[in-house]
Amino acid sequence: MRVVLAVSLVLGVACTNNPYPEKDDGKKVLYAQYHEPPKTLDPAVAYSTNDHVVTGKVYDTLLEYHYLKRPYELIPALAEAVPEPQERADGSTAYRFVLREDLWFQEDPCFSLSGGETRRILAQDFAFELMRIADPAVNSPVIDPFSNVRGFRDFASRLKERRAADPAFGRLPVHEQYREAGGISGVEVLGEREFEVVLETSYPQILYWFAMPFTTPVPWEAIAYYDGQGGRPAFADHPVASGPFMLTRYDKQARFVLERNPNWYGLRRPEWKAPGAVFPEVTGLAPEEAEKFAAYVGKPLPFLERVEYRREKEPIPAFTKFLQGYYDSAGVVRESFNKVIQENDLSEEMRAMGMDLERSVVPAVFYIGFNMDDPVVGRAGGERSRKLRQAMSLAVDVEEYKRLFMNGRGLPAQSPIPPGIFGHDEEYQNPYRRVDLQRAQKLLAEAGYPGGVDERTKRPLRLTFDVPDTSPESRLRFSFWVRQWRRLGIDVELAATTYNKFQEKVRDGAYQIFQWGWVADYPDPENFLFLLTTEMARSVSGGPNTANFQDKDFDRLFAEMKVLPSGPERQRLVEQMRSILERERPWIELFHPEDYALTHAWLRNVVPAGLSIPTTKYFDVDPELRARLRSEWNEPVLWPIFLLFGLAAAVIAPGIVTFYKERQ
Amino acid sequence: MLAYVVRRLSYGALVVLGVLFFLFVLFFAVSTPDDIARRAIGDKAMPEVIEQWKINHGYDKPKWPGPGQWSDNLLVEHYRRMLTFDFGRSDADGTPILDRIAKGAGPSLALTLPMFAIGLVIGLTLSLFVAFFRETYIDKAGVFLAVLGMSVSVLLYIIAGQFLLGKVLKWFPVSGFDPAPGVLWRFLALPVAVGVIASLGSDVRFYRTVFVEEIHKDYVRTARAKGCGEGRIMSRHVLGNAMIPVLTNVVMVIPFLFTGALLTEAFFGIPGLGSLTVDAINANDFSTLRSMVYISALLFVVAQILTDISYTLVDPRVRLE
Repeated sequence: MRVVLAVSLVLGVACTNNPYPEKDDGKKVLYAQYHEPPKTLDPAVAYSTNDHVVTGKVYDTLLEYHYLKRPYELIPALAEAVPEPQERADGSTAYRFVLREDLWFQEDPCFSLSGGETRRILAQDFAFELMRIADPAVNSPVIDPFSNVRGFRDFASRLKERRAADPAFGRLPVHEQYREAGGISGVEVLGEREFEVVLETSYPQILYWFAMPFTTPVPWEAIAYYDGQGGRPAFADHPVASGPFMLTRYDKQARFVLERNPNWYGLRRPEWKAPGAVFPEVTGLAPEEAEKFAAYVGKPLPFLERVEYRREKEPIPAFTKFLQGYYDSAGVVRESFNKVIQENDLSEEMRAMGMDLERSVVPAVFYIGFNMDDPVVGRAGGERSRKLRQAMSLAVDVEEYKRLFMNGRGLPAQSPIPPGIFGHDEEYQNPYRRVDLQRAQKLLAEAGYPGGVDERTKRPLRLTFDVPDTSPESRLRFSFWVRQWRRLGIDVELAATTYNKFQEKVRDGAYQIFQWGWVADYPDPENFLFLLTTEMARSVSGGPNTANFQDKDFDRLFAEMKVLPSGPERQRLVEQMRSILERERPWIELFHPEDYALTHAWLRNVVPAGLSIPTTKYFDVDPELRARLRSEWNEPVLWPIFLLFGLAAAVIAPGIVTFYKERQ
Repeated sequence: MLAYVVRRLSYGALVVLGVLFFLFVLFFAVSTPDDIARRAIGDKAMPEVIEQWKINHGYDKPKWPGPGQWSDNLLVEHYRRMLTFDFGRSDADGTPILDRIAKGAGPSLALTLPMFAIGLVIGLTLSLFVAFFRETYIDKAGVFLAVLGMSVSVLLYIIAGQFLLGKVLKWFPVSGFDPAPGVLWRFLALPVAVGVIASLGSDVRFYRTVFVEEIHKDYVRTARAKGCGEGRIMSRHVLGNAMIPVLTNVVMVIPFLFTGALLTEAFFGIPGLGSLTVDAINANDFSTLRSMVYISALLFVVAQILTDISYTLVDPRVRLE
């Protein structure tokens, strides 16, 4: 009996599924998970959502988005105000940024290069980062939007030429190279706290780029010090920043930890009550929403002491740990969807655990595209091809696709512009984005393909759907569209290849139909409609207009719309562009994806952002409630150990006895 | 013996060089440097960014040797890098591959060494046990369970282990890893248990066959006739004489201890080399994949040579000529 008690005691103490140290139970720590590690934390390069998990929290920006207002609204962050465009006589536009006073970087050993542990943030640090974006050696993916800055391309060329001509120049510290190369003429530093960005032509969307970590201040010391040599990490793995959190542990394959940055302006100067440093007040919320936030309004941010990220490669263990209370929030995995969501809402079981479900439509669009350079489905076919595309559009049943492959999540798309973005019209119903097989067949006949047979050749119409994935699951998904068109008699063949091969086909223009998607960089219709401009056509400039749609009217309207402030005039232009797309059908708009996020009762203030923007500084947790519920949900079950021993003895003992009896 | 070892090492070197050539053809025939660059930095990247990326990663050279480029080409660079263990940087995120391998080796060994040692001890013990009780229901049940065990996919063991021991009984964390000495065991207990149980079926079945064959040999009968106890016969004589097949089985596993357990590491979130390989596959990180395949081939060749040498240690009759 004593042995059993001793074993029970040892197991009782040792057996626990809690992956965290108990000393953290009472702390305001957010526990989160990630699937893929960030590729880089260099703000000039980091572009993916995985990267932004860290860069969005540690790098502060001149501007940011209001946490609660929709449509999205820019508010000042490191800048004192959102700058107004200043039109100049030479056709250029200037934006003057004035920094808040008393802004500091986080403490870091790199500042030993300038004789300290940290230093003040200067206007020069923003100019330095813009030069890094231009620098060809940095490989920034956002060269294009900044190319409109005066002298941006020239600076890159000068740098490249100097490096090629003089190897000694290339060995200088980067900030010295930039200084010698003369900087970007359109980025004028006017003082320690003031600088101006001059654009060759009007591009109001540039302000959104100043709300992204690409344009964060970067100290030259960090680039010079973190060179990946002598045991020092590379800058891409060691951010030196000024945001509300700082990265204190970065084992990117397994875990990273962010802690409050005491040098962040919101913590150093709470008396400023800066818009991005306190919880915002907003009118017009539903009463239950307003009540949720009431206790937080005006309180200084961030509420959390620490954010712990653990890597989870597989969705099922990750979701299990969420259900055990070891992660504070989670997406809904496909395997558990029916357990979690019932009748389009949280299941009773999840409600009983106190969970909350946050739904948000992602500002993205997925579509089937036609290669408009193709002689059969493209512009060369004229009216005949147009009617073919219209007919094919009328046969595609997105609701059924969502039901079969997406657990019903997502919003059927009527145009390229998703909800939450200016230009989206809730009332708008695209006449070619509903299922109408009769009309589709009529259009097909008018196109010269009655029943899917070419009138001229008397042969069935055969098209090719190029797919960049050879997995069985993808075949199943894409076959769905093929079956839709088969109902009209159109024979579409799936050409599934590897991604590389598909890219090659796209580069060579050897494709007819494809499926693609686009996620917004910023909340503006320009960021979606530019995907269909001639300038961006893949066959013209290698741009993202894979449909190679080229329409002079569309281009003209786009150029006008791009520079207008959001208002009735801009809405009118968007509608005109939309009607061109409606008629021409270079795309069959499919859906805007929908995110489902589950949060535990102890996690507060979670508002789905849609865009990849930092929100964690607004979150709060109730650690007492979390510790209590975790303990209730995770009491170890020990009796099976004794049962197992008993069973083993019961099975083996008679065998041994029999064996020895027989032997004797 | 020295001549034999030198000869085997020479063959091994040729095999490794062949593997390297095969690797080069495989990776560079499937993807052009442009494809690799686009995969790494995305479709939105401008052409000059792609060019710069290729320069940074050494992909801007011609593939094959040619006039004026006999030494400055991708093939020669590939051999140079691999043979000097200068694996360069990851195609996916630019981190030094050797650092990642060094960092991943610890977690992999922390998982695979106990899995291997515990599995070996339990496997041999159970095999001796069922061999000892041969032709009784214990033996039959043992063989049945072993065949059943080896017929089940390792994935099922992992999922069932996580479900039963992590979710239902709540004994261990479902997944995760913390290298701190006091808590490391907590994260390793479940994956090690799952790994041991998953390998037990095939081990017990194999070792039992070897032991039963030995039990029927004359020296066992002689030992028994001389009054030697059954326990001593099994543990000293049978086990000792069955060491050659056991060693073959054991030594060939050693390379995989270093390269990690792909699925186990992925499902339990252990940042080892198996996990690194899975990541490299998913991210089309060809430079990391090439390095991992090369290391596996190298370890495999070394393990084969060690197996041959180890025979002389356990069986004095074996002579390596």
